[in-house]
Amino acid sequence: MKTTRQGTRNTLHAVLLAGAGLCIAGAAQAADPMVKACAKDGQFIIGFSQANNAEPYRQHVNDELTAAAKAVPGFTLQIADGAGNVNTQTSQVDNFITQKVDLLLISPFEAAPLTPAVKRAMDAGIPVIELDRKTVGDPGKDYTAFIGGDNYKIALEAGKYTAKTLLPDGGEAAVLEGLPSSTPAVERLNGFKDGVKGNAKIQVVAEQAADWVPDKAQTAFAAMLQAHPDIKVLYASNDMMAAGALLAAKGAGKDVKIIGTDGLPGPAGGIEAVAKGDWAATFTYPTGAKEAIEMSKKILLDCSTSVEPTVTVETTAITAENAKQLMGK
Amino acid sequence: MSEQKISVAASPAVPAAAPKHRDPLALVVRFQSLIGLVVVAIGGIIFSPRRHGQILFLDPDNIANIVRAVSETGIIAIGMTFVIITAGIDLSVGAVLGLSSVVTASMMISGGFGLIPTILAVLIMGIVFGAIQGTISTRFRLEPFIVTLAGLQAARGLALVVSGNQYINISYGDGPGLAPPVFAILGERLFNNTVPVATIVFIVFAAIATIVLNTTRFGRYVFAVGGNERAARISGVPVSTVKISVYAITGFASALAGIVHAGQFNFGSANDGMGYELTAIAAVVIGGTSLFGGAGSMVGTVAGTIMLGALANILQLNNITPAMQLLATAAIIVLAAVLQSLVRRREGLGR
Repeated sequence: MKTTRQGTRNTLHAVLLAGAGLCIAGAAQAADPMVKACAKDGQFIIGFSQANNAEPYRQHVNDELTAAAKAVPGFTLQIADGAGNVNTQTSQVDNFITQKVDLLLISPFEAAPLTPAVKRAMDAGIPVIELDRKTVGDPGKDYTAFIGGDNYKIALEAGKYTAKTLLPDGGEAAVLEGLPSSTPAVERLNGFKDGVKGNAKIQVVAEQAADWVPDKAQTAFAAMLQAHPDIKVLYASNDMMAAGALLAAKGAGKDVKIIGTDGLPGPAGGIEAVAKGDWAATFTYPTGAKEAIEMSKKILLDCSTSVEPTVTVETTAITAENAKQLMGK
Repeated sequence: MSEQKISVAASPAVPAAAPKHRDPLALVVRFQSLIGLVVVAIGGIIFSPRRHGQILFLDPDNIANIVRAVSETGIIAIGMTFVIITAGIDLSVGAVLGLSSVVTASMMISGGFGLIPTILAVLIMGIVFGAIQGTISTRFRLEPFIVTLAGLQAARGLALVVSGNQYINISYGDGPGLAPPVFAILGERLFNNTVPVATIVFIVFAAIATIVLNTTRFGRYVFAVGGNERAARISGVPVSTVKISVYAITGFASALAGIVHAGQFNFGSANDGMGYELTAIAAVVIGGTSLFGGAGSMVGTVAGTIMLGALANILQLNNITPAMQLLATAAIIVLAAVLQSLVRRREGLGR
């Protein structure tokens, strides 16, 4: 029985890891449950190290995670706010290790700086599920799993939507970028630019950084409209900047089709803005919260021997057609 | 130097030589952050979660985590103590940390410079940056608040230029594009995996700074300039030089913290160190240094820094919201400032 199972695992890991040395190690570990203390009716503490509570998207992640964890009787979720500081976040992960939490969820503020802290957790026998952002290394080996959306693909979808639906006859488009030098800002910028390449008649005439915040977006987009009065589509790399851009467009008396990213719920979020007809569309950046709690259940309650190392959560395009219907959710 | 000035200068340094009429409140204030640290530590022990009877707060790993986490702001706070004793302020420190981490990373990764040249260059850059701010402030008689506010913007701007708007990851190894592996030691722990190297840098720097402030002529000048600038000038203290020097010291401290940051986290980022200036100022004030200048203690700053770290730690171990942490820090800052003001008023009456 054991040999058969090991054989199957071996093949699986050989495919996944494509390394003979690694696959044997993987197989040996996989035969045992990932967490020894796992139990159907056990009580478990899950630590979530959030990158920065101050960002509305991350608060949305916290809310969804809290809700999903509450639905599981044995789970207690503790959230620590890294406050956008790799030093603070590292110390919080270390605190979770000291507390010996049963499972660590983390959205690292930046990849390389949080890598050693994640390694320490793994070395202490704590499974680590990375949400939305990765540390350096491979899922399934350097950390247990990664769950998240693909920034590049989401922005690519937004670009394609612009090329096909919003501006089929071409015209001028502009981009508001997030905080310069942050990974998601770069990925979303490149994704959108690649997406509109499908339509040669579209020109991206302006791209400016607005650091994810609405006030800077308003200023930047107002300036863009001064310089390029014919801008027809604006791609904002998050909902907050799209909201700021809308104010600028209204102020200039221009009818610009605005696309947001994240698709946040609530009165200030993108879904409602699309439903009201203020924006043309927003593309959700899925939080992966449900998937993360599901995976935690597999590891802690069901004594799984292995989990899917990478789970990519797909984006949903929110347009005038489906916005109203999604608002209540 | 006049007799009176020496006593102003020496009293915070040598407790034995303190004036006989010291009232108890003044004593409390002088050691307020040490007392605070002890209180937080006792609170930490009482309220710490336990596992198998073991107090998690006192776990060696946990202590190492606390002192590691405060190392960077601690190094900056030490530099800041000099500046604040002269009744100045330096808002550029966090930005200079970011700039230094970027320069450290890019010199080693894309510049191909070795460890020693990189560290020397970054430290000198910090000193020069600080000295320029000090010079502008003294030469044009500008408020240091304004000059260093401009310095903050300049350092962030320079950091974005140097980094080309990118995070620069530091990878280790031999050859071009790789940093010398020994640099990674800043992220490790020594002595049986107990003492973080970043903390060792912090403590060594604190020790040197304590000696400089308390036993050298320069240290006495720093107190004299902050206590009464005009009197200091009349008695022959080179006021401008002292002022420029203290900003050079914060520049050096920020650069040192930037190097430690780059080594600990294997990267350089223009956005890092944001808000560190305020944490550092908080630690200095809690440590008993007066924002009006002329009085202060290095040991107080170190204790204040560690106290803030220990407080954050115990609150997280008990899963108390970050909001409470901010409120607690706010209360402590106000308490520290009120105590100081009470003492100042009493001493003012006595004089």
